[in-house]
Amino acid sequence: MFGKIASIALTVGILAAPGLAQDLGAAPPPAPYVKVADVLPLPEFLPGLGTLYVDPDTLPAGPFLAYDHDGKLSATVYMTPIAALEGGTAYDDLALGAATVTSVDIYYNAGHPGVEEPHAHVVLFHDDGAKGRLAE
Amino acid sequence: MNANRRQILGLGGGILAALLAGRRLWAQDVVTISMKGTPRGENTWFEPNGLAVAVGTRVRFVNDDPGNSHTATTYHPDLYGRARRIPEAATPWDSKFLLPGQSFEVVLSAPGVYDYYCIPHELHGMAGRIVVGTEDDPGWEGAAADDDLPDAVLAHLPPVDAIIDAGAVISR
Repeated sequence: MFGKIASIALTVGILAAPGLAQDLGAAPPPAPYVKVADVLPLPEFLPGLGTLYVDPDTLPAGPFLAYDHDGKLSATVYMTPIAALEGGTAYDDLALGAATVTSVDIYYNAGHPGVEEPHAHVVLFHDDGAKGRLAE
Repeated sequence: MNANRRQILGLGGGILAALLAGRRLWAQDVVTISMKGTPRGENTWFEPNGLAVAVGTRVRFVNDDPGNSHTATTYHPDLYGRARRIPEAATPWDSKFLLPGQSFEVVLSAPGVYDYYCIPHELHGMAGRIVVGTEDDPGWEGAAADDDLPDAVLAHLPPVDAIIDAGAVISR
C-alpha cells in the first residue's frame, strides 16, 4: 500500500517538475539548452555521460541532458559542488529530462571545465539500456 | 585546436645555462608527463607528479584521459594572479585546455623547482613538481614556501629531495 502511494506521489512529483513541458527525447533539445562541447573545452561524447546539453542559467547543478550516440535522451545528470553542499546549499526542484527513471548513480567527480571543483554527479538513467549506451 | 601545441621558451637562456653548468646541450630528450583520470572522473593526476630533469630538457604533457580536459599551468602572477612557484628566471607557461590525445611541450631552461597544476582539478590536488638541474647549477632556485596553495595540492607535491633521489615520483 505504502509502495503504491509512494509510486503515485513520485509520478505526480515528476510530472509536476519543470522541464517536461518540452519534448527533450531527441537531440538536440530546444533553446536555451546548448551542447556542452560547443561552449566548453570538453570531448563531444564523455564516457559514462554521453553528449551533454545544459541550460547555462542552471549551472552548476543542471540538469544536464545526456544523449547516446543515436541522439536518444538516456539520462538526466546533476552536478553539485561538494563545498557548496557542506556549506548548506540545497539544490531543490531541479528539472527532469524525462519522467521515467530506472536507476540512479551517485559518485564523486574531481572536476572538469564548467564545474571546476570537486562535486557529485547524480545520474538518473531513463531506461534499462541507458547506462550501457552512455558507457563509451 | 592543434593536436600538438609547442611552446619553446627561453631557449637562449637554456643554452647559456647548459654551458655554464657544463651539461650536454643535446640533453633535451623529450620527457613525457601523462595527464590521467579514472573513467568516471573520481580521480585525476599527473604521472609522474614529481620529475627531475637536466637543464634544457623538453617536457611534453599528454592528455591520456579519454573523458576529461586538463591543463598544465605554472604558478605565476602573470597566470591568474597566483604566487610565483617557478624560478624567477623562468618564463611562465600554460598549456590551456588539452582535449584527450592533445599535447603541449615546453623547454625548461632555468634551473630550479617548478610547481604547476591543472586548472579544473587544482582543488582536487592535481598538481606536479619538476626539479630542473641541481643546487650546483648557477641561478638555482629552490621550492617556494608552502603558502597560497590548497591542502590537496600540498599533499601531492613530492619533496624536492625525494624527486632528485628517485628521478621520478608517482603518487596518486
